[in-house]
Amino acid sequence: MTPAAKRRKRGNGGFVLACLAPALVLFAVFMIVPTVNVFRMSLYTWSGFSPDMRFVGLDNFRRLLDDDQFIRAFQNTVALLVVVTVVTMGMGLFLAAIMTRQKLSGRNLYRFVLYVPNVLSVVVIAAIFSAVYDQENGLLNGALRLLSLDGLQQVWLGNQRIVLYSVAIAMVWQSLGYYMVLYMSSMSSIPEELYEASSLDGASAGKQFFSVTLPLIWQHLRTTLTFFVMSAVNLSFVLVRAMTGGGPDGASEVLLSYMYKQAYTNSSYGYGMAIGVVIFAFSFLVSLLVSRATKREPLQF
Amino acid sequence: MRRRLVLVGAAVTALGLVAGCSGGGDGSDSGKTTLKVAALEGGYGRDMYTQVIDAYKAKNPDVDVQLQISKSIEDEITPNMKAGKFPDVVVLGQGRKAALTETLVKDKALEDLTPLLTTKVPGEEKTVGDKLTGGIVGNLNTDPYGDDKTYLMPMYYSPTGLFYNKGLFASKGYKVPATWDEMFALGDQAKAQGLPLFTYPTAGYLDSYFFALLADVGGEQFYTDVMTYKQGVWQTPQAKQVLDITTKLLGYAAPTTVGYANEQDFTKNQQSILDNKALFMPNGTWIVGEMKDAPRAAGFQWGLTPLPAVTAGGKRYITTSVESVWIPGSAEHKDAAKDFIAYLYSDEAAAIFAKSDAIQPIAGIAAKLTGENADFYKVYEDPAVSALVGGFAGTAPVEGVDIKGTLFDTANSVISGDKTEVQWQTALDEASEKLRQAGN
Repeated sequence: MTPAAKRRKRGNGGFVLACLAPALVLFAVFMIVPTVNVFRMSLYTWSGFSPDMRFVGLDNFRRLLDDDQFIRAFQNTVALLVVVTVVTMGMGLFLAAIMTRQKLSGRNLYRFVLYVPNVLSVVVIAAIFSAVYDQENGLLNGALRLLSLDGLQQVWLGNQRIVLYSVAIAMVWQSLGYYMVLYMSSMSSIPEELYEASSLDGASAGKQFFSVTLPLIWQHLRTTLTFFVMSAVNLSFVLVRAMTGGGPDGASEVLLSYMYKQAYTNSSYGYGMAIGVVIFAFSFLVSLLVSRATKREPLQF
Repeated sequence: MRRRLVLVGAAVTALGLVAGCSGGGDGSDSGKTTLKVAALEGGYGRDMYTQVIDAYKAKNPDVDVQLQISKSIEDEITPNMKAGKFPDVVVLGQGRKAALTETLVKDKALEDLTPLLTTKVPGEEKTVGDKLTGGIVGNLNTDPYGDDKTYLMPMYYSPTGLFYNKGLFASKGYKVPATWDEMFALGDQAKAQGLPLFTYPTAGYLDSYFFALLADVGGEQFYTDVMTYKQGVWQTPQAKQVLDITTKLLGYAAPTTVGYANEQDFTKNQQSILDNKALFMPNGTWIVGEMKDAPRAAGFQWGLTPLPAVTAGGKRYITTSVESVWIPGSAEHKDAAKDFIAYLYSDEAAAIFAKSDAIQPIAGIAAKLTGENADFYKVYEDPAVSALVGGFAGTAPVEGVDIKGTLFDTANSVISGDKTEVQWQTALDEASEKLRQAGN
């Protein structure tokens, strides 16, 4: 490189930097600083307002291990993550495959209907499901009564063994359409010839799904899985807060709602941040594991 | 040249972004004192505040009062407070979900208002302390550290207790029970007619119930012991008796109670009183306004009774919810704030508040009430009934321990059979012990 060209390059660098600076500053102020702060605060005891913060090292984390409610919230989060991910992914893939491969009449309508929940605010969803789950004249118990299945009626939000699954159903309902549309778009980009060729070889629709569709959209699947882990952690919080408040008696508490309770209601900000760190590490680890476990040689068509 | 222009453009954009974040100046340099008042918009509405402030401004032209009022005032003032900008006067009681008042109490971040009690109300002869009804200051609600220093001034007070439908009681010939034995007898009688005795909106509403019951069973000293986490207090026979009575009462709970005991559905539990589907629920006088548009059974009329006495003729307490007004320790205009608070207890201000049913603890005010309110405030007239104010004492925050949650929310599990009374007692004992250690 000639010296002149080098100088030119450096000049460009300054300009690029100036253009990037606003975004970088905003990113640092609103993303990096708070994240670092979460980690820092988790080592302190602080109520949130007082001028005195006491450094306690890893005490907050040690206390977490003895905290039954935290462990319960952790179990609930993991259960939600597993159940909701498996069900949403499975149903999303299945529906997407049917919608793209089968010439279903009115499939645009189905797609629309399934996608609508995704644009609703979570508070609206909570209100809808409160009506669906109502133990007396709710949609669910009402339908069961109509079918003379009175024995199956449940107090959906009052029974501690069921309430978590009631929340899970609402989460699936909310996110199913979004992932279905994502998979549909990736499936429709698979060339038709592959299906023709495989059907000439005598492959059934099921065989085609597992041997052609799934391997070819695998990369999309991996990406959405990572999305999913993160959004499920967040969504479970908003939904739990709006729908059950973590009740009855902590039965539907999830990590983020417990963190909120500790950091704000119980004035243990540092402890809440320690929970935040656990959530961060947990989501990070799960995403990493998912990404490692699903790693395949990318297939192309 | 062009490049330089672009550079300047980029710099201006960046500056604009930064400036946009730091905007919102004070604009209070005209020699006037700007008093920032933050208030919770509760069931009483917001008009009464604007009227009182207008009246105050008319008397004090050199003070500008800025009112910030919201149904979730904590969310609006907290960010500024974390940044060091504090309101001068805050009208916000304890027992809110965000627990801002409690947090500041735990932090000792409130201004000592004891001198205010001996200050004359502006334009009147009496001092603030003289005007207040007896016993309303000097408890843990106003003097949170139990050291005879008042940090929270009582603002409005209202009785809480068991609400029921007077019409239903008259038509069925039920008598409002005076003792727990009568209560459970009524429970059996009503059960035979398919009527559950009890329900609650959410388990959190059991606070007034528990406080009164603790004092009913063990007297005020025992109540204070529980509230200040005396060692082993939950292992005493009195504590056992409180949990015994409660567990028995929860056995009479309406089957729908737990399923509706959440943020979304709690009004359905309240509705069951209006629909004659349950006899009693613990609540506060705001229930009248809260459910005023709800459909109700024919002949419905709100009634309020204190908890039944433990033994016939025993003393009965009525938990009195008191909203508070306080000054943050870091407020800018503390003297102006104190003057404003003193004014809030003037006859003029009290009349404005009373019009919105916000009843201040000023002696003689209850006699002027009308309608349902007159009826509710009458509960204090029974000589066997006394007001009980306060709540759990403030301690340094203890990670993972929430004694209110342990005491109230467990009721959900007791009704559904997920936890036993013994587990309840053990959990309370542990939580109380941890808080005791943090308090000392």
